[in-house]
Parts: sequence; structure tokens; C-alpha cells
Amino acid sequence: MTSNLKQWVKSGSPWVWLNAGAVSACILLVVGLLLLITWRGMGHFWPAKVYQFTYQGEAGERVDLMGQIREREGVRAQRLRESGIEIDSDVELVERILLKTGNRDITGQDFSWILAPGILQETVPLSAVVIEREEWGTFFGFLLGLKKEGVLYSESDLWAEFHASLERASDLREQIDELEKDEIGSVNYRLERLRLRQRSLELDGEDDPAAMAEIQRQKEALEEEYLALEEDLASLNQAVRRDVVIVETASGQSVELPLHTVIDAWRPNDMGLGARIGHYFYKAWAFVSDDPREANTEGGIFPAIYGTVLMVLLMSVVVTPFGVVAGVYLKEYARQGFVTRTIRIAVNNLAGVPSIVYGVFGLGFFVYTLGGTIDQLFFEAALPSPTFGTGGLFWASLTLALLTLPVVIVSTEEGLARIPRAIREGSLALGATRWETLWRTVLPMASPGILTGLILAVARAAGEVAPLMLVGVVKLAPSLPLDGNYPFLHLERKFMHLGFHIYDVGFQSPNVEAARPLVYATALLLVLVILLLNIVAIHVRNNLREKYRGLET
Amino acid sequence: MNETRDLPLVNTADVPGAEGEGGGRPADPEHPKGRPNGSMETVEPAIAVKVRNLNLYYDEVQALKDIDLDIEEKQVTAFIGPSGCGKTTLLRCFNRMNDLIETCRIEGRIILEGRNIYDSGVDVAELRRYVGMVFQKPNPFPKSVYENVAYGLRIQGINKRRVLDEAVERALRGAALWDEVKDRLEESAFGLSGGQQQRLVIARAIAVQPSVILLDEPCSALDPISTLKVEELINELKKQYTIIIVTHNMQQAARVSDRTAFMYLGEMIEYGETDQVFTNPRVKQTEDYITGRYG
Repeated sequence: MTSNLKQWVKSGSPWVWLNAGAVSACILLVVGLLLLITWRGMGHFWPAKVYQFTYQGEAGERVDLMGQIREREGVRAQRLRESGIEIDSDVELVERILLKTGNRDITGQDFSWILAPGILQETVPLSAVVIEREEWGTFFGFLLGLKKEGVLYSESDLWAEFHASLERASDLREQIDELEKDEIGSVNYRLERLRLRQRSLELDGEDDPAAMAEIQRQKEALEEEYLALEEDLASLNQAVRRDVVIVETASGQSVELPLHTVIDAWRPNDMGLGARIGHYFYKAWAFVSDDPREANTEGGIFPAIYGTVLMVLLMSVVVTPFGVVAGVYLKEYARQGFVTRTIRIAVNNLAGVPSIVYGVFGLGFFVYTLGGTIDQLFFEAALPSPTFGTGGLFWASLTLALLTLPVVIVSTEEGLARIPRAIREGSLALGATRWETLWRTVLPMASPGILTGLILAVARAAGEVAPLMLVGVVKLAPSLPLDGNYPFLHLERKFMHLGFHIYDVGFQSPNVEAARPLVYATALLLVLVILLLNIVAIHVRNNLREKYRGLET
Repeated sequence: MNETRDLPLVNTADVPGAEGEGGGRPADPEHPKGRPNGSMETVEPAIAVKVRNLNLYYDEVQALKDIDLDIEEKQVTAFIGPSGCGKTTLLRCFNRMNDLIETCRIEGRIILEGRNIYDSGVDVAELRRYVGMVFQKPNPFPKSVYENVAYGLRIQGINKRRVLDEAVERALRGAALWDEVKDRLEESAFGLSGGQQQRLVIARAIAVQPSVILLDEPCSALDPISTLKVEELINELKKQYTIIIVTHNMQQAARVSDRTAFMYLGEMIEYGETDQVFTNPRVKQTEDYITGRYG
């Protein structure tokens, strides 16, 4: 027996099992985490059933509640008894339900916990309506009527009529959005540029009357344009306010909701499977493509995705040449010795510096020192409000480039080290200089290794939050950093970021319970964005590897 | 193209210090080693490369000791000797490949076209176009067959497709590879067999039209049939190029070379006509090595 055990240990199988176990644990953790995020995040968009309860509360009062069940959990009866709730003595465990009741404008809260034994009656009314609103969150209730231009409409096809009105309102709202953001935004932007030009002319002492008159003329033209747009906007605003929908809560209180505050309405209990799936994807898409609302706790996260991707791309553009050039110098040209060893150790240690330190450095050096100087030199007209002297997309990208530089340097060096000596000698023997050898043969062959470093850098940068909070990420950015206004890419603008969005929505929002599914959904999206960026890079790398395949043998 | 070449190395006239070696063309009067006088009707072949008092050190270890050697033009010269005797090190001196080794220090002169290649003014890249090299293991670049052959020309700034096409074909024909690869010029060179790769590397070397070709055990990684092809190729190539070959294989040295140098522990023990070295060595050590007593 013991000899068998000894032999088993000697054969090395325990180690194999141990290693395999470690790998399995890692895979289980990763898959589990992904599944949890996916389940929690994706579930949010499903049009869950709306229940109506007649409920007897702790004090014995009867209330009518309506909402979607968010969570069920068992609570020990003892605990409830201690808090003064009467429970039959033979009960051990009581079911408790978290109900999303919405109607925050009326009841002051979005959620309520109810105890299962207190439920007197439970129904799933087919006509229950869920209304998504611009403010005050979701509304649960029944449709009573529609006031069109002050005339009440309550025929049997009310639901269809309501939807037609809703569509009209949302069309108008879209037009208003477009007008405000694109056209008026553009006029404002041009006006601001004009003001800056005037200011800089004044500062340079070149404000001769002719130039001033020209600016004044342009300004007047823009203001005229603005007034015309303003007029359009006013008439649209009037049109969108035409209809009002009348709804009733579960407890019988009727409420008037102006249609321009209603985003969407649906009757989840009346939907077939197909309709539910359609609705699900529609909502999921809206989440990805819309702007956030209500302090980020509702609406979509498009600006955050946009900001994350743009920042990572900019960072890659900065870090790749720097890292590669540094790696090439260290490996190919620098005399190997004490100094290069020291530099290498320093670079490796840089990778271990806490990222917030990079944030502080970015703030102190990039934002205040560099940005401040740039402002003084080139954007004097805008002072005292800073242009580059405050956090922004460019500084954030630079800070992250600095953070990921060690990864790129190290992988470049490793990539170069893998190139066989014979290839270099072959090239040199043909009369190529070291530089020609490097440029024509060695670097292309090392490119898969370099890309591996870039992939790691992208993965790290996209997930980084702490330094960004200091150098340019904001909770809500008024405009995207890339838009239709010259010069299109606005490097100085603040931007939104998925990682920071998670932090903000999950831990800084006033309505944490409502925002929780959004946190999961955002986390899922962040993972997907990183995955997508990586897949692209890995694809490129594999193509290159295939091309230089002969190396391995 | 050979005529239009404008290599600084060829211009002996205006190179100061070239006088001392008498322009390199006429046979060296001191030429000592035993070529049996009168055995050949032809004039003495010209000397392509002269090695004088060459000493080479890796750090403090002396790897080559006082080498004196004349390499004859358009002949095949073979270096033989046991492992570690310095024959590859010597070979790599001819195109200054040893420069890549930081600890390597060289004394003495190698005179090529009347000029010491270790002079400070010599452009090493230029020298290496003049002295091509083929390595032990085939080392094609990860490019197409065509681009491999065109590599050296592109380095020289030749990018005209027509000129390149011609040069590539000529080089591949010269390396006896054209018929095998003419339909797959755009395919990766890694797809060729080992023997084809080695001939491709030879084609790559002759594409830049060198005058000397160094072969560092070119057949050690090849099978017998490929070896045979490369050996036939060497016979062809010597009509145009001066060839120096390092080999482990004494039969090979006997088959392909005109002159053979036997080296041992960094010293040149014997150098002479291949026939003479193999059939009637003058030094005991050579005889011992050839008859397989050590090595």
C-alpha cells in the first residue's frame, strides 16, 4: 500500500493533478464571473411580468401594490419577530420579496420589500402598463385615457391610439434633440470660436476696425441663424407638448403624464414570447446606443463606450511607437551592461507602480505643467478658463500610455530576442547595415511579439479607472470628443469611460438599487469592449505569426 | 553589372597604403607553399585574398594564431580541421562578420583588391556585398522566394521591377534553382525543402554579384542528394567566383576544392593543392587527421 502511494508520488501524477486543479479553479472562476455578469446584466432588459398584490402590511393596513419581482429571499422568522412583526410560532423561514414598484414621484421610492405571508391576493393583470419616463423612473399602472389637444379620448382602441401619439411625440423629441445638439450646438461652437478669435486679436493688438467689423458681421450672421433655430425649437417644443396620457396607479390614484416625458410604454403581461424577445433586444440596443439619463441611473451608456474606445485607440497610437523605439534601442543598440540592466529593472518596476500614482503624475505634469503652458502659449484667448490645462482625453491617453509603456517595451525586447541570429547575419552578410537589417527583416519578424505587448497594454488600459479620475474622466460629458465640428477630434474635451461609469452608477448614484442591474450590464459591456479590441489585435497578430511561421522551427 | 560596379574596394589606384601589397593582382613572389613547379602549363592563378599575420582573440583567448594565407582567384579553397580549430572564425574574418562579437579583437591584415579590409575607412556593408556568405543552416528570410533573392539588390536601392526580375532569374539560374521555383516565386521561401533553401541562399548571395563567396559548412544540414546538388553547384560557381568553403567532411573537401588548408588549434598547419594535402601531406598532424587518428 505505502509502496503504491510512494510510487504514485514518484510518478509525478500528484503534481499533474495539482496543476490541473489550479487551472480548473482559474477557469471556473473566470467562467463563473462572466456568467454572473452576463446573467445579471442581460436580465435587466427582459420585460418581466407585472404583479398586482393586495398586501397587508406590518401595521395591519391594506395596500394595493403593483410591480415587478426583483428578488425573493428567505428570512429567519426569529429575526422578524424580534423586529416586532407577528409571525406564527411554527414558521421558521419567511419568504420576502423585493418588488420594483416604480412611481417614485408618488410614493417616494422605487422598491419595497414585502413579506409573502402578508399577500392577500395576487394577480397578473393583462392591461398593466409599464411606462419609461424621462424623469422619476418607471411608472406601473393602468391606462385610463388620452388627452389630445385637450380633448379626452377613451375609445376601445385607446392602446393603439396612445402608441400613435407616443410615436409622434418621440419623433418630435428626436427632432428637438437633433436641433439642440447638432445645429444649435454647432452655432454655439462657432460663436465661441469667433469670440476667442476676437479676444486673441485684442490680445495681440491687431484689433483694427476692419477685422473687428468682419468679426462683428459674422457674429451677427450666426446670431441670426441662432434666432431662426430658436424659433423652430420653440414651435417643436409646443408641438411635442400637445398630448397628455392619463394613467392610474394600483391604488387608484390617477395621474396625468405629458407625452413628451414618456419614452416608451409596454404591457409585459400581454406579450407573447416573440414580442418579449423583440422588446428585449430593442431595450438592449437602446442601452448601448443611447445617452444616459437621470444621473446615469437610466438610459444608455453610448458616450462611455465611445470614450473608452477612443481613449484606448489614442493610447495605442502613442504607446506603440514609443515602446517599440525604446525596446529596440535597449535590445539592439545600447551597449549591454550595468546601465541597460538598471534601466530594464526600472522599466519592469514601473509596471508595478500603483496606477493612481500615474494619475497623480499625469495631473501634475501633463495637465498642470504641460497643459498650463500650452494654454498660455496657444489658448491665451480662452483664459482664465482652461483648454488643455484641465483633464481631458489627450492627457488621459498619455497617462495610460505611460502606464502601459513597460509592457510594450518588455514585449518588444522579447520579440527581438526571439529572432534567430542566423536571420540577422544573413541580412548583414548581404551588405545590409544594422538599421536596414532591423527595418526590413528583424522588426517585421518581431511584430507578433510587439502586438502581444500591445494587446496586454490595451487590456490593461481599457480596464483602468483610478488614474483616469484625475486626468479627464467625468460622470457626464456634455459632448463627445469626436464630432462634426472642426477640428473634429477634440483632444481637450472631457470624456466618459465605462470603468468610471460602473463606479459612478454603482456607488455614487442616489438610487443604488435601481442602478444595480445597470452596473452589471455596464461591466458586461466593458468586458465585451476589451474582448473586441483584443480579438482584433489577436487576429492581426495571428496573421503575422502565420506569415513568419518558419521561425519556430 | 559587374562592369559598372563602382566599389571603393576595387579602386586600388587612389587608395593610400595599397602600394605595399603591390596591387594584389600579380602572384605574390613570396608565395611559399608547395605548388609543384612545372606540373601545370598554365600561368599561376591570380591571388584574390591575402591574409597576413592574422591574430584573433576572444577576450584573452587567442582563437587564430599568425595566419598567413593566399586565396587564389576563381578557385575553391577548403578549410578543414577538427571542431573548434578556428576555421569558421577565420572564414568570418573575410567579411568582418566577427565585428558583431563585442569581445572579439583582431590584429593583422586581410588584403582584398589591394586594400586591407580592416582599415578604418572601409565601409563594412560595401565589403559584404563584395564578399558574400552562406551559412551552415539555410536561413532564408520570411519573405517570398523572389523577395529573398531581391533582398540584397533592394538594399542597394534597386527597385525597378524589370531590373530585379532579370537579376533574380539570373541568380536563381546561377544557383541551379530556377527550374524548380520559377512557378512559385511569390510563395514563401519557407515552403522550399532544406536543399532548395540552401541553394536559394546561395542565389541570394550571388544576386548582388560578389567576387568572393564564403561557404560555412553549407551541406552540414542537408541530405546526401541535396549535398550532391550543392557540390555540383560549387563546381559551376568557381568559374565566376572565388570560393572559400569550411567543411567538416573531408571527402567533400577532396571532391570540391582545388586547394585545402588544414587548421588545428587556431594555427594553419598545412596549406596546399588538395591532391597533395590528401595524398601526400607534408606535416604529420595533417596525415593523422586525414587518416582519422583524431578530430
